[in-house]
Amino acid sequence: MNFKDLFNKKTKCCLALVFLLGLFMSNQISAQNVTLEGTVKDASGLGLPGVNILEKGTKNAASSDFDGRYKIKLSNPKAVLSFSFIGFKTKEVSVDGKTKLDVSMSEDANSLNEVVVIGYGTSKKSDLTGAVSTISGNDLKKVPVANVAEALTGRIAGVQVTSSEGSPDADIRIRVRGGGSLTQDSSPLIIVDGFPINSMNDISSSDIDSMTVLKDAASTAIYGSRGANGVILITTKRGKDGKVAVNFNMFYGMKTMANQIDVLSPEDYTKWQYEYALLSQTGTKVASDPTSYTKYFGNWQDQDMYKGLKGDDWQKQIFGRRGEVQSRDLGIRGGSDKINYNFNYAHYDEKAIMIGSNYKRNNLSLALNSKISDKIDVGFTVRYSDTEIDGGGVNEQNEKSSSDSRMRTIVGYAPIPVSGLTSGDVSGDGTDVLINPFTSISDNNRQQFRKNFNMLGSFGWEIVDNLKLKVDLGLDNFSTLDYRFYGRSTYYVANAPIGTLQGKPAMIMSDGKDKRFRNANTLNYDFKKIMGENHHLTALLGQESITYTSNTLTNTIHGYPNFFGFDQAKTLTTQGTPASVDNNYSPDDKLLSFFGRANYDYKNRYILSATFRADGSSKFSEDNRWGYFPAFAAGWKISEESFLKGTSWIDLLKVRASYGEAGNNNIPVGQQIQIFQSTPTTWINGVTSVWAPSKTMPNPDLKWETTVTQNFGLDFGFFKNRLSGNFDVYKNITSDLLINFPVPGSGYDYQYRNMGETQNTGFEATINVVAIEKAKYGLNFSFNMGVNKNRINSLGVMNNFGAATGWASSQIGDDYLIEVGSSLGTMYGYKNDGRYEVADFDYVGGKYVLKTGVTPTATTLVGDGSSLKPGDMKLKDVNGDGVVDLKDKTIIGNVNPKSSGGFVINGNAYGFDLMAAFNWSIGNDVYNADKIEFSTATASGEYKNLNSTMADGKRWTNLDPASGQLVTEPTALAALNANTTMWSPYMRTAIFTDWAVEDASFLRLNTLTLGYTAPEMFTSKLGVSKLRFYLTASNVFVWTNYTGSDPEVSTRRKNPLTPGVDSSPYPRSRQMVFGMNLNF
Amino acid sequence: MKHKIIIAGLIISSLFNSCQQFEDDYLDTSAPSTLEPSLIFSAAELAKGAVDGIKVPFAETNSYRGRFLPYYGLNTDAEWYNASQTAGDKADLCVYDAKPGNTEMNTTTNAYAMMYAGIERANVCIKGIRQYGNPLPGTEMGQLLGEALTLRAIYYADLIKAWGDVPARFEPITTATLYLPKSSRDVIYKQLIADLGEASTLVAWPNETTFTSTVEHINKAFVKGFRARLALAASGYQQYPDGVRRSNDPELSVPAMYALALKESREVIQSGSAHLESTFEGLWRKYNQEITTAGGESLWELPFADGRGRMLFTFAVKHTSISDQFQANGANRGGVAGPLPFVFYDYDQTDLRRDVTCVPYKWGTAVAASPYPIAKQELGTIDTWYFGKYRYEWMTRRVTSDNDDGVNKMYMRYAEVLLIAAETANELEGAGAAMPYLKEIRRRSFSAADQTEKVENYVNALSSKEAMFNAIVEENKFEFTGEMERKQALIRWNLLKTKLDEAKQKMADLAARAGAYTDVPTTLYYKYKADNVSLDIYGLNRGETTNPGLAYSSVTWTWTGTAADAKIASLYKPGVNPDNRQFWPIWQVFIDGSNGQLKNDYGY
Repeated sequence: MNFKDLFNKKTKCCLALVFLLGLFMSNQISAQNVTLEGTVKDASGLGLPGVNILEKGTKNAASSDFDGRYKIKLSNPKAVLSFSFIGFKTKEVSVDGKTKLDVSMSEDANSLNEVVVIGYGTSKKSDLTGAVSTISGNDLKKVPVANVAEALTGRIAGVQVTSSEGSPDADIRIRVRGGGSLTQDSSPLIIVDGFPINSMNDISSSDIDSMTVLKDAASTAIYGSRGANGVILITTKRGKDGKVAVNFNMFYGMKTMANQIDVLSPEDYTKWQYEYALLSQTGTKVASDPTSYTKYFGNWQDQDMYKGLKGDDWQKQIFGRRGEVQSRDLGIRGGSDKINYNFNYAHYDEKAIMIGSNYKRNNLSLALNSKISDKIDVGFTVRYSDTEIDGGGVNEQNEKSSSDSRMRTIVGYAPIPVSGLTSGDVSGDGTDVLINPFTSISDNNRQQFRKNFNMLGSFGWEIVDNLKLKVDLGLDNFSTLDYRFYGRSTYYVANAPIGTLQGKPAMIMSDGKDKRFRNANTLNYDFKKIMGENHHLTALLGQESITYTSNTLTNTIHGYPNFFGFDQAKTLTTQGTPASVDNNYSPDDKLLSFFGRANYDYKNRYILSATFRADGSSKFSEDNRWGYFPAFAAGWKISEESFLKGTSWIDLLKVRASYGEAGNNNIPVGQQIQIFQSTPTTWINGVTSVWAPSKTMPNPDLKWETTVTQNFGLDFGFFKNRLSGNFDVYKNITSDLLINFPVPGSGYDYQYRNMGETQNTGFEATINVVAIEKAKYGLNFSFNMGVNKNRINSLGVMNNFGAATGWASSQIGDDYLIEVGSSLGTMYGYKNDGRYEVADFDYVGGKYVLKTGVTPTATTLVGDGSSLKPGDMKLKDVNGDGVVDLKDKTIIGNVNPKSSGGFVINGNAYGFDLMAAFNWSIGNDVYNADKIEFSTATASGEYKNLNSTMADGKRWTNLDPASGQLVTEPTALAALNANTTMWSPYMRTAIFTDWAVEDASFLRLNTLTLGYTAPEMFTSKLGVSKLRFYLTASNVFVWTNYTGSDPEVSTRRKNPLTPGVDSSPYPRSRQMVFGMNLNF
Repeated sequence: MKHKIIIAGLIISSLFNSCQQFEDDYLDTSAPSTLEPSLIFSAAELAKGAVDGIKVPFAETNSYRGRFLPYYGLNTDAEWYNASQTAGDKADLCVYDAKPGNTEMNTTTNAYAMMYAGIERANVCIKGIRQYGNPLPGTEMGQLLGEALTLRAIYYADLIKAWGDVPARFEPITTATLYLPKSSRDVIYKQLIADLGEASTLVAWPNETTFTSTVEHINKAFVKGFRARLALAASGYQQYPDGVRRSNDPELSVPAMYALALKESREVIQSGSAHLESTFEGLWRKYNQEITTAGGESLWELPFADGRGRMLFTFAVKHTSISDQFQANGANRGGVAGPLPFVFYDYDQTDLRRDVTCVPYKWGTAVAASPYPIAKQELGTIDTWYFGKYRYEWMTRRVTSDNDDGVNKMYMRYAEVLLIAAETANELEGAGAAMPYLKEIRRRSFSAADQTEKVENYVNALSSKEAMFNAIVEENKFEFTGEMERKQALIRWNLLKTKLDEAKQKMADLAARAGAYTDVPTTLYYKYKADNVSLDIYGLNRGETTNPGLAYSSVTWTWTGTAADAKIASLYKPGVNPDNRQFWPIWQVFIDGSNGQLKNDYGY
């Protein structure tokens, strides 16, 4: 019997036992004879359902019903009643013998008393000592997007949310305070109702009650390992006591492409093709009308037939369709004081702007909580999500070749139909030179199905007064089905299959099944009875275990019949030849932890908290298995001091400081021992699979990566909290970095190691201003910003190493540099110095010879590879050795912003509400690889279109349009290029210079919403408690100098070392949505 | 109340206990989709998969496939990179001017790294089979161990050939041995020679077992022939950090190593398990047809599957179009390197190897046709020749990959065993002992009518040791041009610079029609044969100067001007002494990644 079974069994026994105990415990309720009733209303006079009413000093409690009415039996007619409700100020009223008591509760403007979910518990917001930010479900609801993560953009100081491109399933990159790891993913840990999940995508935003981001180690250390990059806690909605509440929300919207790359017109395109054809002649050269031009475009004399011709806009054809989004969700919540429930169904359906690109998702959840007795409660949640993603997009991280990036074929495709050059089919006779964009899209089609089934059970028992036991059990099942089709035009089918099956369609199907089981047991004790009035101490003790198992079945099928497309390949698999079937079981990933926390405050002024966690991970060998993560924090509520207590305008003034350690074991499983894997191969004759050690060298000495965080913060609330906010400064040092370290020449490619150190220092500010707060109208602003500086303090044995994005296959080499003293995301290339002019050369015997004094650039870098000529790109001699060569590569850009943040304006007046959410980033660079790609015509670049930076009149030209011949004579050549500014696009190879590094600072109006809530007098007649209509525009404008389609981009993300590259991104769209919220 | 605390305490402590109790087992996880070495190396079926795994690094992108085979072995006095005059990283590799930062090579995935990947896999196999496999001679495990030892020797031999001294790793790597300095190549050579001695007792002769029925598996004839080749390389001249010399190690002396090479080569010859193909053209047709049956001339081939490898892609007679009647390998395939322009004229006009080895035409732009477009032969210029040993037009399979051709690399053939026997016999026993071997080579090279003069009389006249040696040096060229064997041979004879200078002079003479080339015609006349695809050329042979008539078109066959001078000079970079550049530098990424243990010698 394995441990889990035994463990389950034990847990079951224990549960049964506890149930029995619960039954034996009878509630001794003394006879009552005083009954009080009344209504609880909010400031506007609406009944408040679900308010907790407690007779102080007793256990007598009740809650208000759907209309705000309540009834409570009292032990004493002179009792004091406490009315509490989340988001409202708790109110205490003495009964004074009345039998009817109506109460009006006022909203807590900045919710200082709001309860915030923290690790394994909750805390009052004002008592927090760590750096914690929250966002409510209501705020999320106002941003109608597919992915919850996207809704966080620009909302929380120090949390940078960037989407990598415009596709509906785009990776959303979340970084809390910059992220510490180097080669490993720095994504924060995401916890839903205590349970870690893989992707926020599996949660519907309508189901979210609140999100909490834990930013410093004092807050995250309770999560020990995995907490080092921050923790995002998501709490889903619970049922509330009282009458059934039904919410129905829906929206419908449309999307259009936001931006596209300008390309040459047909006239200019053919002109350039002519020049290219002349320049690229080999063998016997002709002075005009070279055959590589004439066979497709006719003679040069007839080129004027292309004049004024309107070309095909391929980007528009591929991305120009009107996208549609639809969303509907239904929530039903309710319950009694014994049981409550929350049912939620959400459906999201998006037809994206790209042909064949669709996204569909269904979320279904049901949460039940039952108070079996005063002492015991149980909860059960099931959550199901089902996502379908159609279409292969325009790039992928696990690409077979960078030449399959679809944007290439789309932008570079000839704007005019030319027989033989631009046929729609790759027939294999070698006459088609360019791949039709539609062929390219359908040949790279893909369909993905993701299913997530999550069950959580919890059991809480107040064993004795103030001692609570909580047992959580959870099971999470993921299934990922991925069909990836490779049509005849792809690199993969041309090269990967065995010879006889080459050039025929292929498909790779992978079916992943992952399972996570979690058990956490915590004991909470509140020492309030023991320590007296002024001292308040609570303690938490816990244990947790998580087991993650993963199995992926990958079927590779080659050699389908030539005419097969995606659908046939998916369903008629026997028509192909199975190349490999790989049913791979990963080693289990297990984590066993013990933890504790103590919170203490004195007179609610001085707050101390301490956390300790020990984590054991199966990813490390026995000696290094355990990591110990302590944290301490202290807070001083200055506003509670007597000397400030009387100052009416100060509501809260608190300083806090924290120190803590958190760990990270975010490496693949099975790195500590050498394992032999069987892998299929098509490279060796007569061999279909081989046994070999992994290409990653094992390392038995691996241990935890540790981040030490120091945080100092100030929280404030002034003028009845009309002005509130907080400031934080922090320093995070991550040491023993888990690095996927290159060990070239050893026999292995990489080895995971603990080495080096990074540091993130920064400052964060959040300011909320309630400018106007009246019953009928209001206006508030919130502003946040984060400044983070990343620095690599050490890289162990070396000083630097390079990383290559590989977007241009092997043409560019390393274009990122990871170096001690600089930051992650440092771009490495050449400095552009314009171009060589005619005046830089002597014209000797029909050849251009560079004048002495003019710095030569290596012909392996610029020009067409023969010799330097006027019009070739010129680079800067950085090291001053008189020539430009490999040694002149230098740092030319940095993706890290100097600061980023957002601000949100919320206003409402007479039923109308308006929200505008902006986000911005200053000082970050983007590597505009597409700009290089489409301005460089390499040896294989004949017949490809260029972008408009290389338009006629801008690019260097050698062509005399009148004679149709190349100009070589200096005076004429200089005259020809008197007004041009760019170098000649005819180049041997693409080169990365600072010309392609662009400042990508931007300000985006991300969301603009205008809503109208129908007046109550109208809705009440319909039996509706709230009815709101709204109009939301997303990605309204981007204010930036960046010349690519969007400054928020990162398409070479497989390696975390190469962020911020704009190469073949899925274009972003603008979206306009009309929606409705309906509450019964 | 108390009992509740006790019960709760019991429950909780039992939960915690259960965890502690199982903690050790709980956190030890297994990897289900993997196997332990003890299992793999105790069953031959599995061990074979591990030994096959040693060969995969040959085929990695920047390994033998894309970097080592295309560049190592150029330039010599017979072969060159056809664009040697175009300055750049590719040419630098061939004109003795490679730098550690060479962009073609300076990547972590380079052949240098892949060779060590192969070595590591071999080390793991050798250790595993010895430990668990009971590898007795005559058993399948024995064959596998022999194969692993030989594959490791192949990787090492090529490492030393290209880079000189390199780190020696003969045990699986551990953290302690991750960073090693270079060791003396003498140490490695001795180990390889010992390993191959052991391997020769373990593996079977060609066709002795089903395993050795194909030359894609290691057989005894290859192991012995290869051991002889290494013995000559180990004892030959080569550049050491202190200069060009022979090894100082007495075990690697000329008498010891030549005796070993002679013994091994004679054993192969006497075994009768391999023989020359009956014709030279037949040999290369068979190669391009991918016939890998053992027992012929080919001893071992690097077994590229048909979708991997770049022999024809790189070296074949050039094909211009993406697709023509012979191939669909992409545009401008083949022709990256070729014979030096004079090599054709150095052959005896009746030597049957000449037209197989040197091709003056390429396949031109294909014209649409069914089922495939049709390309014709097109004459090029006198400065650009192609290796005719590699021809798509001889293949039986149509190449469809656009990056690979899938044709094997013939790593060693029987002719080399004969020449090794001739060379070592000449050295140890005198010219007379070498004659039979040289005659056997030449007999295949000339038609029966020419054999009396070109074989018997020619070889019998080589009566002195010196004359015999010089003849072997020449024969090596005529036999192996295009197989990239020549460079190492020139190095071990200490003739690299001498022969390269000689070649430059010959090219200058050819350009000027001076010296030995005065009677080389300056006009070629051509017409298409009845198939309207192949050329009928007049004027390639010396003295063919009479215009054959109107049916023929003509092209000038001259090579003059500054461009010609520049190209001739580029055989090796002016100002560089090839004898001081016998090796490539270890690429910068490996120096940087060596934790300070590696450095480049030889003045890099």
